[in-house]
Amino acid sequence: MLRRFALLITALALMVALVPALPAAAQDTVTVKYWHTLSDSETEKLDELISMFEEANPGIKIEASRYAQNANEFRQVIMTALASGDPPDVIRMDIAWVSEFADLGALVAMDEVIPDFDTYKEQFFPAPLQTNYFAGHYYGLPVSTNTQVLLYNRAQFEEAGLEVPTTINEFVDAACALSNGEERYGYAMGGTYFWAPAPLFFAQGGSITDPEVTTADGYLNSEASVAAFETLVNLYNDGCMSPNLLGGGIATDAGHATDLYSMIIDGPWMVSIYEANYPDFEVNFALVPAGETGTSSVVGGEDAVLMDGSKHQEEALKWMQFLASDEAQIVMADAGVIPTLSGLTGNEALPEYFQIFMEQLETANLRTPSPHWNEMDNAINNAYQYMLRGEKTPQEALDDAAAEIDAMLSGD
Amino acid sequence: MQQAALRKLMPYLFLLPGFALFTLFVLYPMAYSLRVSFYDWNIINPTRSEFLGLQNYRDIVQDPIFQRAVRNTLLYALVTVPGQMILGLGVAILLNQKMPGQTFFRTVYYLPVITSWVVVTLLFEYLFNSQAGLINYGLQQVGLIDKPIRWMADENLVMVPINLLGIWKGVGWTAVVMLAGLQGIPTELYEAAAVDGANALRRFRNVTLPLLRPTLVFLVVVLTIGALNVYISGLLITNGGDPLDRTHFVLTLMYQETFDNLEFGRGAAISYLLTSLIFVISLVQIRFLQREVDYA
Repeated sequence: MLRRFALLITALALMVALVPALPAAAQDTVTVKYWHTLSDSETEKLDELISMFEEANPGIKIEASRYAQNANEFRQVIMTALASGDPPDVIRMDIAWVSEFADLGALVAMDEVIPDFDTYKEQFFPAPLQTNYFAGHYYGLPVSTNTQVLLYNRAQFEEAGLEVPTTINEFVDAACALSNGEERYGYAMGGTYFWAPAPLFFAQGGSITDPEVTTADGYLNSEASVAAFETLVNLYNDGCMSPNLLGGGIATDAGHATDLYSMIIDGPWMVSIYEANYPDFEVNFALVPAGETGTSSVVGGEDAVLMDGSKHQEEALKWMQFLASDEAQIVMADAGVIPTLSGLTGNEALPEYFQIFMEQLETANLRTPSPHWNEMDNAINNAYQYMLRGEKTPQEALDDAAAEIDAMLSGD
Repeated sequence: MQQAALRKLMPYLFLLPGFALFTLFVLYPMAYSLRVSFYDWNIINPTRSEFLGLQNYRDIVQDPIFQRAVRNTLLYALVTVPGQMILGLGVAILLNQKMPGQTFFRTVYYLPVITSWVVVTLLFEYLFNSQAGLINYGLQQVGLIDKPIRWMADENLVMVPINLLGIWKGVGWTAVVMLAGLQGIPTELYEAAAVDGANALRRFRNVTLPLLRPTLVFLVVVLTIGALNVYISGLLITNGGDPLDRTHFVLTLMYQETFDNLEFGRGAAISYLLTSLIFVISLVQIRFLQREVDYA
């Protein structure tokens, strides 16, 4: 009898052990959860920022979580957190996503929680600020901006007796002159998602929709847009652009640093990436080669957004405003993050190579600000794949993609 | 009286914790996702979900991307299951010989089984890299090809590394199960067959194979279930469907619908379709392959 009782007690004890521990008693400090996709060197700077902030704000603790820089994965993580009702307080997200999440009702409008937002917002560059605007409100604070420029291998250009291209025609000629069959390529593109062809697409006068984002017909399949993709498809077919963009090849950053790709188009973060991985490699920047309408590129960057589900909105907002402040942006600039505050233009603390990116930003275009952007990106990606595989002509592929996007836009 | 009641109750008390966990983490989610599959599920606000009945199932079955995913998955099963079985049997027979270093070889063949799918998938990606991969380099060195093959860029070629990986990773486990089966065959039967004048091939065909049958049937069923659930290698190598959603497996498509497109209803419906497919295939296999082993 006694033994049975012992068994029974053991069984009960096991069950008790399986009940999750009760949450620890509430503490005085408030923890703000911050999600981001910073690189290694940027994360080091973030740690500095966190110490600075926590020192100045005793009682607030920043719990930063770093996610993979794979855009899709990060989006899924956020969506899953929203679905399970447990989002973080602040997210540093791609400027192209803000309208989608604002449309979902997941974000807090800044103009409703920051007093004097009308004057507060004046300190930012207009383009990065604009990426937060959706349906009459600003849903985030711009904390970084960037664009892509041309990176070229100076030694290879000198060896071939070529000038660095300033026009699309010169670019195509140089790309072909510097390619040799299957090993070395004059130019390499990172993939077929829109961000990759965007600089050359915009520089050749390509466009996606009308400014009001009501239709893609007549824009994505316009003469200039089709011609822009034709240039790229010809480069690929002529063996002047690496096949890596279709997958399973050598990545653009590694290929450029190892003299396999003479030119790539990429962002300011490449400086710290090359410093870490290829310390001897000399990085040379130039503006994206100009089409008939001049040079252009694509605006990137991140906005800090306050999640609607945050239980510590006041503290979270303090952290966001700190991220958007002079002192924080100067620290991050050290890792190649371009500030969004116009007051910092020409600041001596900023690295010298920011100059070319600032110049490129003047003519760079935003990706379409729409809650449908993710699907639109996918449609253009597929169109580009069809062209590269020779399954559709650029005109056919872009006609189809425009129709697909118009179906999304008319669904609203 | 009290003691008798306690005695009756005792087994259930012991079962309770396990069953509670099973209900919470297996039964409940399964029932929940069955419910989700009948809705246009709204993840932010589930109460606003729209009931669709069987519409999700109808849409998916007619979707060419899903049909292609099913084809890719069935092909993967048709290639990797026989591949693992044949190579596994070969390895098992070799390991069953009395020879020096037997334990060493058993360990070596089992190594791929215990390595992480993610690690070996990345390894295969490097091997099959079109510009810097060892496979292309080797093929070019021996003169079989003069231009590098773009393995990952082609929707059909990309199936080669994925299927090879599936076979390579599973041979060790298959061999170990077969080895157990081989060692369960009484040696007298081989001796008797030898006395009757059967050569090695006859002994294999008339003693080994028939007596190994239950093991082989078990393996076919289990390996097929595993193959239909192919996921990690596909997700990593093709990004789940690249190019143009042509290289999906059923599970990578399920993942994409659910977490990329946030179509939780469609995703749940796909997982129930896969479950039904596995159920039917397993039933057919067991029905047609299983027979009593006759030692007489």
